[in-house]
Amino acid sequence: MKPKLIIGIVAIVGFTSLLMYNFGESISTYTTFEGAGERSTAHIPGTWDDEKEAVFSLETKRFTFYMKDEDGVSKKVVYSKPKPNNFEQADQLVVIGEMRGDTFYANEMLMKCPSKYNDADPGQFTEAVEG
Amino acid sequence: MLGILGKLLLSASFVTSIGAMVFYFISANKDEDRTLKLGNWLFTAKTTFLVIASGILIYLIFQHQFQYYYVFNYTSLDLTPRYLFSAFYGGQEGSFMLWILFSALFGFGLMKWTRAPYKAPVLFFLTLTQVFLLSMLLGWDIFGLKLGASPFRTIAEEMPNAPFLQTNPDFVPSDGSGLNDLLKSPWMMIHPPVLFIGFAMMTIPYCFAMAALWKQQYHKWIGPALPWTLSANVALLTAIFLGGYWAYVTLSFGGYWAWDPVENASLVPWLIGTAGIHTMIIQRKSSIAQKSSILFTILAYVAVVYETFLTRSGILGSSSVHSFVDLGLYNQLLAFMLVVTLVGLGLFFWRYKELPSPEKESSILSREFMTVTGAMMLLILGLVIILGTSSPILGRLFVENPTPPEISFYNTWSMPIAMIMALLTVVGQYLFWNKHDAESLASALINPLLVTSAVTILSVIFGDVRDLYYMVYLFCGYFAIVGNAWIMIKLAMKNPKVIGGSLTHVGFGLLLVGILASSAYNEPLVDQKTANYNAAVERGEVTDEQGFKVTQKEEMLLLNLNEPIMIDNKYMVTYEGYDLDNTVRRGQQTYKILFEPIDGGKPFYMNPEVYPMLTSSTQENIQWSVDPDVRTGLMSDIYLYVGGSSYVEQQNEWVKKNAEMMQNAASQDTAGIQKDSVNVQSFNMNPGQSIDVGNYTIRFVNYVQTDSTELPPNTTIGVRAEVELIHPASNRVITLDPLFAVYSENGQSYIFSPPAFASDFDLEFQFTQINPQENSIELTVTGLEEEYEPEWVLVVADEKPFISVVWTGTFILMIGFSISIFRHWGREKEKNSD
Repeated sequence: MKPKLIIGIVAIVGFTSLLMYNFGESISTYTTFEGAGERSTAHIPGTWDDEKEAVFSLETKRFTFYMKDEDGVSKKVVYSKPKPNNFEQADQLVVIGEMRGDTFYANEMLMKCPSKYNDADPGQFTEAVEG
Repeated sequence: MLGILGKLLLSASFVTSIGAMVFYFISANKDEDRTLKLGNWLFTAKTTFLVIASGILIYLIFQHQFQYYYVFNYTSLDLTPRYLFSAFYGGQEGSFMLWILFSALFGFGLMKWTRAPYKAPVLFFLTLTQVFLLSMLLGWDIFGLKLGASPFRTIAEEMPNAPFLQTNPDFVPSDGSGLNDLLKSPWMMIHPPVLFIGFAMMTIPYCFAMAALWKQQYHKWIGPALPWTLSANVALLTAIFLGGYWAYVTLSFGGYWAWDPVENASLVPWLIGTAGIHTMIIQRKSSIAQKSSILFTILAYVAVVYETFLTRSGILGSSSVHSFVDLGLYNQLLAFMLVVTLVGLGLFFWRYKELPSPEKESSILSREFMTVTGAMMLLILGLVIILGTSSPILGRLFVENPTPPEISFYNTWSMPIAMIMALLTVVGQYLFWNKHDAESLASALINPLLVTSAVTILSVIFGDVRDLYYMVYLFCGYFAIVGNAWIMIKLAMKNPKVIGGSLTHVGFGLLLVGILASSAYNEPLVDQKTANYNAAVERGEVTDEQGFKVTQKEEMLLLNLNEPIMIDNKYMVTYEGYDLDNTVRRGQQTYKILFEPIDGGKPFYMNPEVYPMLTSSTQENIQWSVDPDVRTGLMSDIYLYVGGSSYVEQQNEWVKKNAEMMQNAASQDTAGIQKDSVNVQSFNMNPGQSIDVGNYTIRFVNYVQTDSTELPPNTTIGVRAEVELIHPASNRVITLDPLFAVYSENGQSYIFSPPAFASDFDLEFQFTQINPQENSIELTVTGLEEEYEPEWVLVVADEKPFISVVWTGTFILMIGFSISIFRHWGREKEKNSD
C-alpha cells in the first residue's frame, strides 16, 4: 500500500507541475510593439492608425496597415490574409505575430467591435472573419 | 403592460420555486409525503408561471414590440417567423428561460419515475438550481442591489441616459437592431435548445448523487441516474456536433473546432459526465467505484455551472470569439457556482469516511481497474481543458494581463491522453466481457493487433505520414476501432442489446483518426506558382525587401473572370461571375466558381456567398460577411470562401465617394468629382475574349488577313484584328477591323496603327501592340466614359481530408450512447413496474 501511495503522489505532483509549467509557457501577456521583442506570438492590442493607408495588395496578397499600440507608437502591420470584414469598425485590434525590424507580421488578428446602440456596453471581440 | 405582467410572472415563478424548495427540503428531511405533495404543487405553479412568461416574451417578439429592449436588440421586422421564434433564446436572458423550461420539464419526469428515498431530495436539488437560474431573470432592484436582468425591461430602463430618450421618453424604435446574420442558420436554431436539454439533464445525476449522500443510500441511485446521464451526454454531444458543424459551414475560421471557451463549455461537462458513466457502469456490475461515481457526477454539473460562469460573467472578455454580453450577473453567477460546488463537494467529503470502499484492491488486468483508469483519463482531459479555458483567471499566476493559451497547449495535452484512452478502451472491453490473465489477453489481442498494424502501415504509406508521433497516434486510433469492432461483432451475435459500449468506443476511435487526418493534413488549394513559393518559404529561402525571412505563406487564389487556373495539379478552376440576389439577404452575391477535375471527374460548382451585414453596416461603411461553401466528399471536403472581389471593392468605393460627397455638400464645397472628358484605355486580349466596359462589350474575335495594297511600303508585319463592339441597350453589333503593321523607313522600324471609328458611339479603336508569346493583342480605345475594371474574386480554398470520418465517429458515438440508454432505461422501467 505504501509504495503505491508514494508512486501515486509522485505521479500526480509530476503531472501537475509539468502541466502548469507548460500552461505558463503557452500563455503570454498583452504587450506593445516595443515589448514584443523576439517573441513569435506577441499579442499586441492597439487601434488602427487611420491617417495612414490600409491596403490589400493583390500582388503580394497581403493586407498592410498601421496600428497604434497602447504607448501610442504607430507601426506597420502586415497581415497574410484578406482584410477582415469588420476592420474599419473595430475600436480595438489585437494583432498576434512577431516584430521584425520595424514591421509587425501578424498571423492572427482579433477585432473588438463596438456595440452600436449602447455606450455602456464594452462590446465584444469577434475573430477576424476575412473578407 | 404585458411586460409588467411578464416581470410579475417571473417573480412569482421565483417565489413559488423557493416555496417548492422549502417543502421538498422538509419532505426529504422527515420523509414526509404530505410536504412532498405541496412541493410538487408549487413546482407545477412555478412552471406554469414560467411557461406563461415565456409565451408573453414570444408574443412580444412576434408583435415587434420594440419598446422592450430584448425584442429591440435581437429581432427586426424583416425576420422570418422561425428566426423570430429562435430570437426567444437568442439572447442571454431568453436562453436562461429556455434552460429552466427544460429543467422544469424534466422535473415532472423525475416526479413520475423517481422512487423513495431519492425522490424528495432529488427534487429539492433540482429546484435549488432552478431558483438560482430564475434569479438571473428577476430584474429586481432592492435598495440599489440589482438582482438579475429581466427580459421584459424596456429600452428606457436599459438606457436611461440615452439622448433620444431624454428628449422623448416615450420613444419606440421603428425597427429592431436585428438578429446577427451569422446566427441566421438552421443549425443555430436547433443548437441552443439541444444544448440546454443537455445542461438541464446533466443536473439530474448531480441531484441523484446529492440525494444519495443525504440519504446515505450509496448504491441504488445509479440505477435511475445512469439513463439520465447517458441522455445528457447524447444531448451535449449532439449540441457540440451542431455547434461544430455550424462553425465549419458558416464561419470562415476554417474548421469545426477552435478550442474556444464557449465550445469548451459544452465539451468539459461531456467529458466528465462520460467519466461518470464509466464508473456508474462498473459500480453496477461490481459495487466498486462508489466514491468516484458520486464525485464525477458532482463535478460534471459543477463543470456546467463553472463554464456558464466563465462564458456569461464577462470574465473571459477578450479571450473568446463569442462570449455573451455582460449583463452584470457576475456576483449572482459566482454565488450559483460556489453554492453548487461547496454544497456538492462539502457533502461528499462530509460523508467520505462512510462511503463504501472496495474490500480488496482490484488487479491491473481487471475490468474495474481499466474502466476506472479510463474514467480518470476523461476527468484529467476535462481538467486540462478547464485549466486552459480559465487562463484569464489562472494565467495571473504567471503573468499580468494573460492571453489565452496557444492552441498547441490543448493539442499537446489532449493527444497523449486520447492515445492512452484509445488503448484502454480495447483492453477494458476485452476484460469487461471475459476474464483474462496476461497470457490469455495477449493471445486474444493478437488478431486485432495484426489488423491494426496492417491498417496503420497502409495509411502511413498511402497517406504519406512522416511524423513518428502521428504514426503512433494513428495506431492507437485504429486499435480502438479494430479492437472494439472485433468485440462488438462477437457480442452482436449473442445479444445485440449490449453492443452500446463497444460501438461507442469504435466511434471514439474513428473520431481520433478523423481529427488527425482533417487537421494535420489540411491543404490549402493554390496554383503551382504559389505552391512553389510556399515551399520556398517553408525552406526559409524567401526574404523580403528588408532582408528578413518571410514566414507567412500565401494561401489565397486570385481568379480573374473566365480565366481558368490550374490548382494543386488536380482542378482547373474558373471564376464565372456572380449573381446578385435580394431574396435571402439583401445585397447577397453568390459567386460561381467552376472546378473541373483534370482526371476527367465530374465538374462541379462552388458557390460561396458574400453579403453586407445590415445590422452593423453604416452609411459610410459596409461590413461584409462571408458564407463559405463546403463540398462534402467521402475522402475529402473542399472548403472555400471569398476573401474579396471586384464587386465588393466597387461597392466600398461607391459608399466612400457618397460619404465624401455628403461631407462636401455639408461644408458648402461644390467641387464635384472631376471626370476625364477624353478617356484612352488599353486592353490586353486573347482571341475570343470579351470584356465589359460601361455600356459596351468589346470582343476580340480573331486575327484577319489584310490586303497588301492597304499597307505602307516595306511592311514586315501586317495584320488586322476583327473586333466586335456590342451595345446591348440598342441591340447593335458593330464589327471593326483595326490594322496593325510594322514597316521600315530609312533603316528604322515604325508601327502603323490607324484608328478604326465606330462613329455612332463616338469611339476610336486602335490595334496598338501584338504579343506573340501570350497570343494576345493590345487594343486601345478612345472615348469610353467608364473605366474598365477587370472582374476578379479572391478565394481562400482548403482541401480537408476525412472530415466525413469525424462526423461518422460522432454519429456512431451518439448511436452507441443511445443503445445504452435503451438498455439501462429498460431495466429501470422494469423496476418501476414492480
